[in-house]
Amino acid sequence: MPLIRRDPPAPAENDQPGPGDLKSGDADTRRHAIRTLGQCPEAVPVLIDALGRESDAAVIEAIFTALEAIPEAVLPLAALLRSDDAGLRNGAVEALQAMPEAVRPLLPGLLTDGDADVRILAVEVVRCLPSGEAGALLCEVLEHESDPNVCTAAVEVLAEAGTAEAVPTLRRLAARFPSQPMLPFAARIAIERITGSGT
Amino acid sequence: MHPEKAPGPEIRISDSEFRRFRDFFYRRTGIAFDESRRTYVDRRLADCIAAAGSRGFSEHFARLMVEPAEMERLISSFTVNETYFYREDYQLRCLTSSLLDRITARKRPGQTIRLWSIPCSTGEEPYSLAIWLLENWPQVDAWEIEIIGSDIDARVLEAAEAGVYSERSLMRLPRPLVERYFTPIGNGRYRIDAELRGSVRFSRVNLIDQDDTARWRNIDVVFCRNVLIYFDEVSRRTAANNLYDSMAPGGFICLGHTESMSRISPLFQVCRFDDAIVYQKPGEGGHG
Repeated sequence: MPLIRRDPPAPAENDQPGPGDLKSGDADTRRHAIRTLGQCPEAVPVLIDALGRESDAAVIEAIFTALEAIPEAVLPLAALLRSDDAGLRNGAVEALQAMPEAVRPLLPGLLTDGDADVRILAVEVVRCLPSGEAGALLCEVLEHESDPNVCTAAVEVLAEAGTAEAVPTLRRLAARFPSQPMLPFAARIAIERITGSGT
Repeated sequence: MHPEKAPGPEIRISDSEFRRFRDFFYRRTGIAFDESRRTYVDRRLADCIAAAGSRGFSEHFARLMVEPAEMERLISSFTVNETYFYREDYQLRCLTSSLLDRITARKRPGQTIRLWSIPCSTGEEPYSLAIWLLENWPQVDAWEIEIIGSDIDARVLEAAEAGVYSERSLMRLPRPLVERYFTPIGNGRYRIDAELRGSVRFSRVNLIDQDDTARWRNIDVVFCRNVLIYFDEVSRRTAANNLYDSMAPGGFICLGHTESMSRISPLFQVCRFDDAIVYQKPGEGGHG
């Protein structure tokens, strides 16, 4: 029979990577080094440092996967929302979405950040919260936010995660931006989705 | 008039006990239960407590910390182990019509082709792979084929090693194959051929435990079906990373038909074949 059965090979004695392997020229070696760092708070600065110079997609994925499992990584991850690199910004959003307990205390600050681009990404992070909590945070955004792009992002998330409590806020929003036809339209779609109505 | 009480002591799980158990179970297995699964969790947990003879949640929870056998029983009761031979056979067709051609194109005849069924439950999937290859792949004798079955649940692995199945498990298997590879042992049960039993290597592996999965390397095709849906975001991503590291460059991964690796991890490329959509680890010839 061509089917064979083997035991797994014993782990190689020198299989553990050294600190220098994080800067190896070989992406597989760097990825292996990242994955064996462990998920302890002490690893966070090493991982963030590696992220700053990494270009290989599989290594970057290993770094973000490691970071999102460490609650202490939430602050440096939130700082990446300001990165000029779109890949890092998106990676940070996904990682923050995966750590709702750790990111929750940061959200009020991120949602009122002075940078509208950061506020838009923070709205995306809110998507990971239970719908009631997400709805309350986003309604607060819609009541006070002056940037129409941030409001549009919030309405999009509410259309997916919002509850009936968000409907009055969405109705008021349309009146707040009379010169932005897109927003009343988006708000109407969101209300229809939330209430199940076609009006 | 008071309604009659159900016989036996009733085990109730409080909100805080549920949260405590949920967090513990998640840390140990990567399987997350949210509030919507509360009734399911309460019922399963109460059954485990009663079956173990514990007096309540606190006593049983304390036992779980120190009694590995109780932990195994608990995991077993919360994982879905029902499966059958030739389940989702479109992926088996894809294996022999497309995937193996790609894999053998970058190997020399006689080299090993390594297939991994994880989770393998009671063995139906890895044995299905063996039977399918023997029956449907003309090149089967030109290669060494290694089939590994892994699961987090030690009890189902014992059953897999024993290789005894009910009529229900064999319902999708054509009758001539049942007659060729199984021996009836009475009471509607069948034992799989000893040679097949000896050809599959079963091992206990927790998919989200990097140390567990690291023992397996250079896997050409992974069958990881209908398990990632039970994981939360972090565990799914960890599992994807672990599988990636265990796979050979250019290796393929087959998920359940409702699952999509694209929603879990950017590590793999989507490959659309006539029979199935599968995912490929880039490298060595890659997907073309």
